[in-house]
Amino acid sequence: MNHLLEVRDLRKFFPVHGGLLNRKVADFRAVDGVSFALQEGKTLGLVGESGSGKTTIGKCILRLMEPSAGQIFYDGGDITHLKQRDLRRLRSEIQMIYQAPAASLNGRMTVGQIIGEPLWIHERLKGDAARERVLELMNVVGLKDEHYYRYPHEFSGGQQQRIGIARALAVQPRLIVLDEPTSALDVSVQAQILNLLQDLQDQFDLTYLFISHDLGVVRYMCDEVALLYLGKIVEVAATEVIFEDPKHPYTQALISAIPEPDPDMRGGEIIIRGDLSHAFPQRGCPFAPRCHAEKLATCESVPPPLLEVEGAHLVACHLHPPLSAAEPA
Amino acid sequence: MSELLDIDDLHLEFDTYDGVVKVLAGVNLKMRRGDVLGLVGETGCGKSMTALSVPRLIPMPPGRITAGRVTFDGEDILSKSESEMETFRARHVGMIFQDPVTNLNPLFTIREQLVDAVLYQRQGGQKTPGRWRGFLPSVKQMRKEAHERAVELIRLTGIPDGDKRIYDYPHQFSGGMRQRVLIAMALAGDPDLLIADEPTTALDVTIQAQILRLIRSLVAQLGLTVLLITHNLGVVARSCERVAVMYAGRVVEDSPVRDLFHNPKHPYTRGLMAAVPQKDVNRGGLHGIPGIIPNLINPPPGCRFNPRCEHVMGICRESVPPAIEVGAQHSASCFLYGQDA
Repeated sequence: MNHLLEVRDLRKFFPVHGGLLNRKVADFRAVDGVSFALQEGKTLGLVGESGSGKTTIGKCILRLMEPSAGQIFYDGGDITHLKQRDLRRLRSEIQMIYQAPAASLNGRMTVGQIIGEPLWIHERLKGDAARERVLELMNVVGLKDEHYYRYPHEFSGGQQQRIGIARALAVQPRLIVLDEPTSALDVSVQAQILNLLQDLQDQFDLTYLFISHDLGVVRYMCDEVALLYLGKIVEVAATEVIFEDPKHPYTQALISAIPEPDPDMRGGEIIIRGDLSHAFPQRGCPFAPRCHAEKLATCESVPPPLLEVEGAHLVACHLHPPLSAAEPA
Repeated sequence: MSELLDIDDLHLEFDTYDGVVKVLAGVNLKMRRGDVLGLVGETGCGKSMTALSVPRLIPMPPGRITAGRVTFDGEDILSKSESEMETFRARHVGMIFQDPVTNLNPLFTIREQLVDAVLYQRQGGQKTPGRWRGFLPSVKQMRKEAHERAVELIRLTGIPDGDKRIYDYPHQFSGGMRQRVLIAMALAGDPDLLIADEPTTALDVTIQAQILRLIRSLVAQLGLTVLLITHNLGVVARSCERVAVMYAGRVVEDSPVRDLFHNPKHPYTRGLMAAVPQKDVNRGGLHGIPGIIPNLINPPPGCRFNPRCEHVMGICRESVPPAIEVGAQHSASCFLYGQDA
């Protein structure tokens, strides 16, 4: 199988300073041993609550942030330690679209300049040739020609996000990291942008890493979903499998907590206690202090490894025995 | 039964350098005691402004109410003086907001802020005796009672170890816990009406579920009346009994929650429902509403939804559709359901 992107045991620690001399006293483990692979042309959803490390993973893949440990493979090659010069070539292959469209666009540049800049940087394209390409890109994302000389503040949030998408597409990337692309938008506009992203994927054969906290959106967009909790993956499976048959207690709680727009589905939610906290001791399962499921002795002492429980369905939970250890039926 | 709250044909404008923004253009909304009403709409549709007009917290100027009435429990709100309003806010209305960080003072403990809220509401919005007068037996007694009430409120909102954590500062609380503190503060004066303006928008989905459950249990325990403002249809489906959908400064549909979700009438409501990624919607099955929200300085004449509506008719561009009865307690402001009313 052809993996466009593979992440192996990725870790990103941030130092915590304290004490009298403000020396490093601990590590804040934002991403703590994450592995996954992404097939060409597919969409993988990275889902988690705030502080689960999903954005950090996205930034590490683009090398906007240096991972502390682990390896990242893109198209078969190790990109974890690429030099600055080679990184530039990589960045025309991998692009990112950000959450806050207004903050990710330079307010002093016109739309034409914003979308044209990557063309200059990567392809030395300027003048009429660049202009033509920019107008073509604007057309692709649903902007009109007369928007070329306007500034970002003249646009609504949805239109601004279209500008960001056009800029990402300018260098003809193969992989796009989408960091909460619609969470700042209203639902009617969100639907427009999600549909645009799907059309573009079909048109240009793009691969998406879709970072989101909204499971409803992820269900609509993704082929496969990985759930993160405190910097660790707790469950990975195909989207239908995750939503039909979630195994990990955290996944179950998260899915039941999606407010479905259907009043008849009221009351079925699992409410988990407390909130996400890095303050819990790192021994054992990170979810154990909030878990609503049956507790085993090992939950508090041994961290559960991420193992295959069914074909291509990985779960990190002591309650679910791995495929190899299960009794043959 | 008479209404607790009756907003009748409310018009609100704001003066800006670009012109007069017609924020609300004839909002009608009625609430009875014990109602849990969801006010839904997208950014800029006027849902917060409608709610803020009840405790009269809209800055005037630049705001200006040009027509309409707001009646609360039989009293006309708009004709009250500012000092009468202080008493009114303290006794009758509690509010919680979207961002629990900016609504707590980082320099004071939760206890100090809660005790202040209790005293303020006990005094009916009038000046409370300062702490420096604590040596007076009457003030001492008052503060002691306020402290007890604060602990009771903290317990009511389900903060574990509330009687100890009350001495903590806001930064020691997580987002969900801060929102519980704000709910406790809003409840300090046993308000008749609780206005919750996007109370869970800044929270994670598991915490959102906790807070929504808390609000529902408070409704059951205390018989609260709640006006819940949100842009999330799922939150409405989960927590409300009745829904009013707003678009560009008007209520376009008002209905019991089941009716609205199973049988939406107004084209905007239908569009909104089709835009939410739901369980059985497959790739390509989501529909956005074409176009964007109108500019409220020069709103389109007639129905404000007409430029984006797929069923638009000649009359839609000329006159404003009245609320038309389309079912039991279900009304929609759309000419599709009759030309006259």
